[in-house]
Amino acid sequence: MITFERRVEPNLGWTVAAFALAVLACLLATALLLATTGADIGQAFSALWKGAAGSRRALTSTLVNATPLILTGLATVVAFRAQIWSIGQEGQVFAGAMGGYLGATLLMGLPPVLFFPAVLAFGVAAGALLGGLCGWLRTRFGVNEIISTVMTNYLIAYLMSWMLSGGPWTEVGTVAYHQSPELPADAVLPMLAGIPRLHVGVVLPFVAALFCSVLLARMPLGYEIRGLGYNPEALRHKGVDIARTVVVVMMISGGLAALAGAIELFGVSHRLRADNFAGLGYSGIIVGMIGGLSPLGTVVAGLFFGGLASGAVSMRVLSDTPAALVPAIQGLTLFFFLCAGVLARYRIVRKAP
Amino acid sequence: MTSVLRVEALTKRFAGVTANDGVDFDLSSGEIHCLFGENGAGKSTLSSCIFGFYRPDGGRIFVHGREVDFSSPSDAIAAGIGMVHQHFVLVPEFTVLENIIVGTQKSGWRLNAREARRKIEAICSEYGIEVNLDAYVWELAVGRQQWVEILKALYLDARILILDEPTAVLTPAESQTLFRIIKAMCAKGLSIILITHKLVEVMQSDRVTVLRKGKVVDTLRTASTSADELARLMVGRAVSFTVSKPALAPGAKVLEVEGLSAIGHWGEHVLKNITFAVARHEIFGIAGVADNGQKELFEVLCGVREPSAGSVRLEAEDVTGFPARALMDRGVGHIPDDRFREGLVRQFSIADNLVLGWQRDGKYTSGPLMNRAAIGALSKTMIAEYQIAARDGAVPAGNLSGGNAQKVIIAREFLHASGLLLANQPTRGLDVGVIEYVQTRLLEKRAEGFAIVLASEELSDLFNLADRIAVMFKGEIVGIVDPRAASVEEIGMMMAGNRQAAA
Repeated sequence: MITFERRVEPNLGWTVAAFALAVLACLLATALLLATTGADIGQAFSALWKGAAGSRRALTSTLVNATPLILTGLATVVAFRAQIWSIGQEGQVFAGAMGGYLGATLLMGLPPVLFFPAVLAFGVAAGALLGGLCGWLRTRFGVNEIISTVMTNYLIAYLMSWMLSGGPWTEVGTVAYHQSPELPADAVLPMLAGIPRLHVGVVLPFVAALFCSVLLARMPLGYEIRGLGYNPEALRHKGVDIARTVVVVMMISGGLAALAGAIELFGVSHRLRADNFAGLGYSGIIVGMIGGLSPLGTVVAGLFFGGLASGAVSMRVLSDTPAALVPAIQGLTLFFFLCAGVLARYRIVRKAP
Repeated sequence: MTSVLRVEALTKRFAGVTANDGVDFDLSSGEIHCLFGENGAGKSTLSSCIFGFYRPDGGRIFVHGREVDFSSPSDAIAAGIGMVHQHFVLVPEFTVLENIIVGTQKSGWRLNAREARRKIEAICSEYGIEVNLDAYVWELAVGRQQWVEILKALYLDARILILDEPTAVLTPAESQTLFRIIKAMCAKGLSIILITHKLVEVMQSDRVTVLRKGKVVDTLRTASTSADELARLMVGRAVSFTVSKPALAPGAKVLEVEGLSAIGHWGEHVLKNITFAVARHEIFGIAGVADNGQKELFEVLCGVREPSAGSVRLEAEDVTGFPARALMDRGVGHIPDDRFREGLVRQFSIADNLVLGWQRDGKYTSGPLMNRAAIGALSKTMIAEYQIAARDGAVPAGNLSGGNAQKVIIAREFLHASGLLLANQPTRGLDVGVIEYVQTRLLEKRAEGFAIVLASEELSDLFNLADRIAVMFKGEIVGIVDPRAASVEEIGMMMAGNRQAAA
């Protein structure tokens, strides 16, 4: 008889093996999915790889795609580590983009060294405010953060929709497109080393990941965040202001997600349009979870998802596979990685019957 | 006497730990056989193997001379073994009768209540157990609830009864009744395995098997041994039961509580008009059965519960309703009763737990970061000073035994407190050796000039340590006595709600 026994301490080799198994299972399941579409599996995988990492252009695209996902992933990590189940990354991305856009309309003409930090700060502040609001609702009125964040996601999405279709930021003459005018060239993030599409914003997720890493592992606030997730009762008894900590966590999380929206605005879309931001927040939740709620893991998972996104385009073009396949792969990845996470905590024992 | 249960060379291993190592044990018909040992000595593992919860990795079990191999407790029940757990598994909304027969029906869907009632009534009258079968379990005192558990086992025709720490939740009077009835059962041929770490109870058994670190140290006739010998066998060294308490004149008042009341979650009055004061060099004891307001009193005193009326003064400053942080900064230390829920973060290392609540203190930070070197050095010192059994400070607190976890909390609170110590059930669930240690440490703090509020369900703690003993019942202090003048019986009466007669 084969049974599972909980491990007392995690074992590195076994953990690696569990996740390798997850990758394998994921590839296999994807291959099965591809087979049902009638596509040539080998060709599809090779197209996926080429689009994700096959050239400098592909790598640029992967990095640019990964940038917002890593940031929303980090937003997830910070909140979830405190066992605060914020689903508000989606709305915070929108808030970040709108905050950034508002900043740009106000601060146009400042020298770039001041302009970009300032408009990004506008975006971050908008997201932090939104996240902080949900945190405050929980601590003050006991509103479940899942409910409040999902609701604010809708609120913000509709606010933006209104602003862009008849509201003050609507592009003149093109109401039907539901978008803002394009930002002037001065307000677009410069390119890194002159490489096309590779805006300087791509370094920020790595800076943010480093910050989160240090925060969680070394700073007193990070200690409180982890403690809050493990045992809030003990923290309360030892004088930690739980309400304040919840609000702060939600502000940091909201700020990180909003930074994703702001960078996306100034680096990629250059105008407000819902299509450009939709899904970044929700994907971030998956990225953070696959990353094992660790900042480093989130970077890896974000790059993986960024690669999937850019590889998907070439897969569609080169091997004629349906576009819906990519979200399916993302879902499968999450599923198998969560399974691996559980498996890693157990040992398989063979017992004499 | 004939042997009804025999265990030979039983071995049970858990990932890396040998909980039972070649244990031999036998139970004679009609005897009370005590399993005695520290927490983690293997008492519960052994009884769980006998009751079919665990399957042993080696060794054999015989019931009435026949070898058995239980794969679940239902096999054990079928073989006539019953177990009463420390924590009851009863449905409060059901009556006593329903609790006994639900889930214990041997066949069919229909509850045959009439027949069951006859059988249970017969059992009750046989052993002199008084329980109203139609009362709801929530109406019963804890001591009575235990009878329901015992009846459940007897109803299933148990001839061998395992009692796991049966007196943990009982008043002294309830414990006495329990032992009277246990003895009546034995006289009628039942055999009882009694798991305990209380010496008073061991002394009432016929034989005792002492376990230490998973091995049998010895099996003795209780009549031919002594409490001192048993304690020495259990701990592996001599233990003193009465720590010597020097006479000290109380100094200035540190804590003054007046008219303190608090309201619970459901609007009930959990604290009613509590008034007392504690001075330097004084230990103020609080006796009482669990859930009579001790926890709420400590929560108010350590700043995690708002009082509804009354005042708290600390060193002459009015601190009523101050948050925990403010009280900690004024030198209040707190040893909570639920150590893994309120005192420690299981997933944090010992080192991290030692600075819990002080993580922002300048001593443990350098710039914006926590000072790992300082915290690591602190944990090294504390592990040595408080004899915490752990490889190093990186071990997660959740891996520690109850006694070592308690030492971590004590180390932290002693290190940071400077005037008042609040200790709620500091010896609960600990072994004799650690209890002695905790008591000695508390007396050291008393000598240093701390004022200490100590609540304990163990009267021995209070008689050993306290300068005065208050008894709490249903949120009130029903009396304050001098331990040198009061008797256990007197305090026991008060714990059951009788007002102090000679007040």
